[in-house]
Amino acid sequence: MPQYFSVFKDESKLDINYIPPRLPHREPQLKLLNQFFRFAVESPGKMTQRIVITGNIGTGKTVLSQHFGLNITGEAQERRINLNYVHVNCRECKGSLFMILQRTILKFYPHFPRRGYSAEELLQALMQSLDERNAYLILALDELEALIRFEGSDPLYNLTRIQEERPKAPQRLSLICILRQTEYLDALDPSTKSTLQRNVIRLEEYSKSQLQDILNDRVNLAFTHGTIFAPTVDLIAELASSEGGDARYAIELLWRAGKYADASRMREVSPECIRKAAVSVYPVVRKDMISSLSLHEKLFLLGVARRFRQAGTAYMSMGEAEDAYAVVCEEYGEKKRGHTQLWKYVKDLSVSGIIETKASGAGQRGKTTLISLPRVPASDLEEELSRALMQRSR
Amino acid sequence: MNPVSIEEVFSSKGRVKILRILADIGELNISEIARRAGLNYATTNQHLQVLENHGLIRHKKFGRIRIFRFDEENPRAKMIKNLIEAWEQTNKH
Repeated sequence: MPQYFSVFKDESKLDINYIPPRLPHREPQLKLLNQFFRFAVESPGKMTQRIVITGNIGTGKTVLSQHFGLNITGEAQERRINLNYVHVNCRECKGSLFMILQRTILKFYPHFPRRGYSAEELLQALMQSLDERNAYLILALDELEALIRFEGSDPLYNLTRIQEERPKAPQRLSLICILRQTEYLDALDPSTKSTLQRNVIRLEEYSKSQLQDILNDRVNLAFTHGTIFAPTVDLIAELASSEGGDARYAIELLWRAGKYADASRMREVSPECIRKAAVSVYPVVRKDMISSLSLHEKLFLLGVARRFRQAGTAYMSMGEAEDAYAVVCEEYGEKKRGHTQLWKYVKDLSVSGIIETKASGAGQRGKTTLISLPRVPASDLEEELSRALMQRSR
Repeated sequence: MNPVSIEEVFSSKGRVKILRILADIGELNISEIARRAGLNYATTNQHLQVLENHGLIRHKKFGRIRIFRFDEENPRAKMIKNLIEAWEQTNKH
């Protein structure tokens, strides 16, 4: 029987959630973060810190923060300080402070009741539980744009000022705010804005040679020796650097190219595998983007993608999208959501850039929202979503 | 330590259920204890009060929320928790 050969030795090292042991070209920023939070291990409770990390997609914001979190909690543990790092993605929490705090408190009390109180009560409960355990918390709010967009400046105001309500108590809650564009901070009230803008770490896009270093690290971790060579890695770096120095895109290309090589039973990842992968990975339909959508967002988008593929039109009305979604719901045996909820999905999906919307103008009876899918072929989106939905049902 | 008769604690199926849930989960609020035990809120509350009066469990307050757990400082509570865990363990074999 022929033995199965894979170019991968450990493909989990290419997973979006993997935190590599070393962050090439982000050492200065890591050092800076460590300096900002030095007090947390040297004199905990004396002060708190608020840091903003900003940069384009795939510039290493999330991994920088998580890497720092791992380092500092490890160091604190050695010094017997109960320092915790909790990383929450605001978009996954639907931009709700309540959900963000709930995810946070569940790290301390895994069976904390899930309803029956307000976000403010939850924040108090969080502080109380930190007090009881003599614990300190660095809360990293990833994709902070979502929280600001949905709830304005109040949540950040509350989070940054909670300590002021307890002047004599030890200071326990520090924040790392991660966002793509600092313009979102302009939407905050002046006092919160000034509190947050004191320490900003800006991550520039990776250059081609920097991407090569990152990719080489991952190749060593994830691939069997001798299955991928320098010119192939260069090609990926070249492609990703033309996509705005996006390391996440580069790593996904690498993973997909490996998958293509495995599927074709090749013993080496060839440049042709990279080209195939590049055609299939659109920056807007990455695995992480699809997996962060809720079930019904996926179903809705699947309906939209199918309708576009079949109709071959550039735009569809909200009504048509709803009809297509209803068919998908029936197929998957799910109860369909109402119009208002679907309209919210459309808004969220258009903010994340998957679809675009515009109001119908002259030439159309009545007023509706017109949806378009400008950045990705409908058939590819359909395939990705079907795959994600199938994995879910397994 | 309060003089507590063992019958008082173990004579109620509801109370034993609650103790078993707390031994299994650790810390839980009333509604969730009630849901898991299949009891209503008021009954659960009464049982919890009895158990707390006997010093077997204690609660922590987070605003309006009360979270119950075994009182690990009470040797009787510890013994009961150990008994339940050992019992559940033998059930698995």
